[in-house]
Amino acid sequence: MIAVATSDFASLDLGSLLMQAAQVQAVPASSLTPAGWTPAWAFWILSALVVVGAISTISQRSLISAVMSLVATFFGLAGLYATLSAHFLAAIQVLVYAGAIMVLFVFVIMVLNRDEVERVSDRGLLDKAIGAGALVYLAVRLGEVIASPVGPVSRMSKPAPEFGTVAKIGEYFFTEFLFPFEAISILLIIAVIGAVVVARTVVSRPTTSYEVPNAASGSAEGGDDHAGGDAHGAHGGH
Amino acid sequence: MQLLVQNLLSVGLHHYLILAVVLFGIGTFGVFMRRNALTTLMSIELILNGGNLTLLAFARSHQDMRGQALALLVIAVAAAEAAIGLAIVVGVFRNRHNTNIDELNLLRY
Repeated sequence: MIAVATSDFASLDLGSLLMQAAQVQAVPASSLTPAGWTPAWAFWILSALVVVGAISTISQRSLISAVMSLVATFFGLAGLYATLSAHFLAAIQVLVYAGAIMVLFVFVIMVLNRDEVERVSDRGLLDKAIGAGALVYLAVRLGEVIASPVGPVSRMSKPAPEFGTVAKIGEYFFTEFLFPFEAISILLIIAVIGAVVVARTVVSRPTTSYEVPNAASGSAEGGDDHAGGDAHGAHGGH
Repeated sequence: MQLLVQNLLSVGLHHYLILAVVLFGIGTFGVFMRRNALTTLMSIELILNGGNLTLLAFARSHQDMRGQALALLVIAVAAAEAAIGLAIVVGVFRNRHNTNIDELNLLRY
């Protein structure tokens, strides 16, 4: 079962996706709805919100403003998911991203309470050049797909009635995606425990050799320490 | 000109793919160019969302719900990544009192 699930999971590589995309674009025009499959103004408004929010996210000096821009971006993305018939994903996007993750970000920013002095990094320019080259390569490869010989606009037919329903997603998670689903649950447990361990205030570290190791004998030892401190202070005074 | 009007009025798979690339590019730019670790984490979230948009657009284009299942897995991974990343940022800030990622080069050489 696990082997079957993993092999199906691995077969979803990008190459086959792109190949299937090229086949989808060759759908004859008669089977297409006349005005595309989503209201065009919805796409343009939401994508403008997403792009402006993303640019604002990486260019704000104040971190709270950046987080608020990111929330706006995620709401726009949720709307875009809804135009793609992925209503469940849109709801999850609002709940998980715009809700949980952004609250986490806001809490950490409040705890740190520190705006950066210099925004733009100027070190490691070679790495950045390599990254820019990779980005250009990605854009060129995707441009090849987009400029495929079928035509500039690829409209899509109406989805099946059960497309995008929660029941269908759940069905996939309990049949074909069973192994990734279980692996994700393990990953989440590991991540939560790891986050608690990493971010926890270390209690046992300050007790070095000259300090009281436990609080059980704290009263008597504390009295000793106090007396010692007094003696030291008196010595210093002399 | 007619092509432009057609592209404006009829939204297809290409539009979503281009938007995903723009989102991915903005996120990559943020990762490379900003110094604050928190902004870097936010840029990584942007990158992951660009990938998610691609998955959902192809799922819609193929009428295949597996893309949506994959996108849900990506969201779960992003949540785990944000939790771990923010915990690491808090730990780094506790030790170094800043979150400038250019100064975190102790393990580099």
